[in-house]
Amino acid sequence: MAIQTYLIAFKREFSQDMSRSVQHRVKQRGGFILMVAKTGIIAALDDSQVPAVAEHPDVKLVGGVTLNPQGYAADRLQRIFAENLSKQLQVTTN
Amino acid sequence: MPNVGAELASVPFGKMIYDMASAIARSQVALDKASISLVKVLASTTFDYVPDVVETLLPNPYQVGTKPALGQAPHPLVDASGNPVMVTGVTVQTDVGTPFPLTLLQAGVNPTFYQFTNSTIEVKMSITSTQESSNSLDVGVDVTASADFLFASGSISTHVNFSTANKYSYSVTGSSSMSTTLAPVPPPKNMMPRFFLVNAMDPSKISISQS
Repeated sequence: MAIQTYLIAFKREFSQDMSRSVQHRVKQRGGFILMVAKTGIIAALDDSQVPAVAEHPDVKLVGGVTLNPQGYAADRLQRIFAENLSKQLQVTTN
Repeated sequence: MPNVGAELASVPFGKMIYDMASAIARSQVALDKASISLVKVLASTTFDYVPDVVETLLPNPYQVGTKPALGQAPHPLVDASGNPVMVTGVTVQTDVGTPFPLTLLQAGVNPTFYQFTNSTIEVKMSITSTQESSNSLDVGVDVTASADFLFASGSISTHVNFSTANKYSYSVTGSSSMSTTLAPVPPPKNMMPRFFLVNAMDPSKISISQS
């Protein structure tokens, strides 16, 4: 089990329904949505679940991505990723 | 007798290595193509990047008023000398910088490239040979003799039973396993574009480059 960051590129032009459908597939497979763009979704996903997401009819390709700390907006993206991730995580204490 | 050396020599090591190397090479090409496709997607995905948001705190003094009764106007509060009682209020003025389009690649999202490392081919072979021999020899001599008034007779018979059995079994079992490790590696420099971001409004002041 290894969770990596993936870019899930859309096959067609962006639409809310299509984007939601792909996001739903990611959530079904235990993934987390980090960022949504018009051409695709950046999500944290388990390696084993990648084929299932790639089989979605609106997905063109799924490829691993990394955040380059020297990128112009890497720190902002990191904050966005962390903020979106925190909204999807449930922390429970015993 | 079994010849272990001959059995080992019959294992097609060369073909196994070639097949594995060929499969790795094909997979590597497919992975690289996928990563390059990803570079294109990342380079074409733009978003409006707001470089900065400036929040300025400005003074906003106002006079304290007493809480009015229902339906009445508030009464401004004054001190004993009749001067109005002022407090230093503050307002926040927000200035959002002009957004400009930035690609995900420029922003810092890089595609992951993968590389096969440390491939192993393991062949296990078990050769078993057993040989059993059993021989039995049964030799018997029967002697009979009889004597009468005029005759005497005698007979001697012998028998030899020899049996031999040989059991010979020979078995060779083999198994092979192949394993390879796939590791993420930094993008090759020649595959990643270099970005130069220059503030055209004042090029001499700000010039940021990223490679």
